[in-house]
Amino acid sequence: MKGFYFILISAFLAQNLNAQDKYLTKEGFISFFSHSIVEDIKADNNQVLSVLDTQTGKIAIQLLMRSFMFKKTLMREHFNENYVESYKYPKATFSGEIKNFDELNEEQTETEIIGILTVHGKEKEISTKVIVNVSESEIILTGDFKVDIADFNIKIPAIVANNIAKTIKVSFELHHKPYK
Amino acid sequence: MKGKKFKIILGFLLVAIVSLAISIYYYNKPDVNVVKTDAAYVLTAKNLIEEYQADETSTNKKYTEKVIQVNGMVHEITTLKGNSVITIRNADQESSIICHMLPNQRQKALQLVKGQKISVKGVCTGYLLDVIMVRCILVE
Repeated sequence: MKGFYFILISAFLAQNLNAQDKYLTKEGFISFFSHSIVEDIKADNNQVLSVLDTQTGKIAIQLLMRSFMFKKTLMREHFNENYVESYKYPKATFSGEIKNFDELNEEQTETEIIGILTVHGKEKEISTKVIVNVSESEIILTGDFKVDIADFNIKIPAIVANNIAKTIKVSFELHHKPYK
Repeated sequence: MKGKKFKIILGFLLVAIVSLAISIYYYNKPDVNVVKTDAAYVLTAKNLIEEYQADETSTNKKYTEKVIQVNGMVHEITTLKGNSVITIRNADQESSIICHMLPNQRQKALQLVKGQKISVKGVCTGYLLDVIMVRCILVE
């Protein structure tokens, strides 16, 4: 799988290198939020890699699970070691397409993004609203969606079951710049 | 009799307090102090990238979650949400080391110039198109 995504992203970047239709960020923001009666857990990742092809609206996103920063160190350790098993699955990926991308020319438009999200080695199709903001220097994608942790085969021990929500809210804000 | 009961209760109380203190300590456990921790590995940007490109899985096991020190040349200095991000890159390589600096490193980072040789110590989180390091400091 890992090889596959590497090839995918490399191919993405290699295609028409001269054409100015690739937009990229290495500092994208993705965070997740879990609300439960016991505690709220939030983690931020500011090192998201995202490559956008403005000709086709196709997008490939990769992030490192260990780049998620939590308020408490213990939360980060449990997350990486026990729940998402970052030593086995160090990355999460998303590969998809922004609908009607060629028709987006206004400053701020809402459309849909559909693709496959892979976390903890498990794939799941995601379809969610996205706000696309196109300016001369940037293409900004923002939005949020919900995922069930059960879909990704993530096991939460019974003792902390009340601390972690069954459904997690994922938010994203990706500021793509032209790829040089 | 009374004295014995009292001692037992006191004993229980003591155990309860100690275990509570330990759990609170673990719950609030601080992050690894990058300033005080010696780097587990000291290496050049070039070598680190070559290791990742040769075998990502085993290199990940070796370096992630560890404090490492990377020596190389400044390629770019940017700011993200008020914190500095220093990109270290070798002229003959496509990939870089992207170092997300701790907030208190901002002043020092802004004084750097492109091409300057620097040493950065921080926690490695892995490899995408570049090696990513977080909570970094500049080493004199």
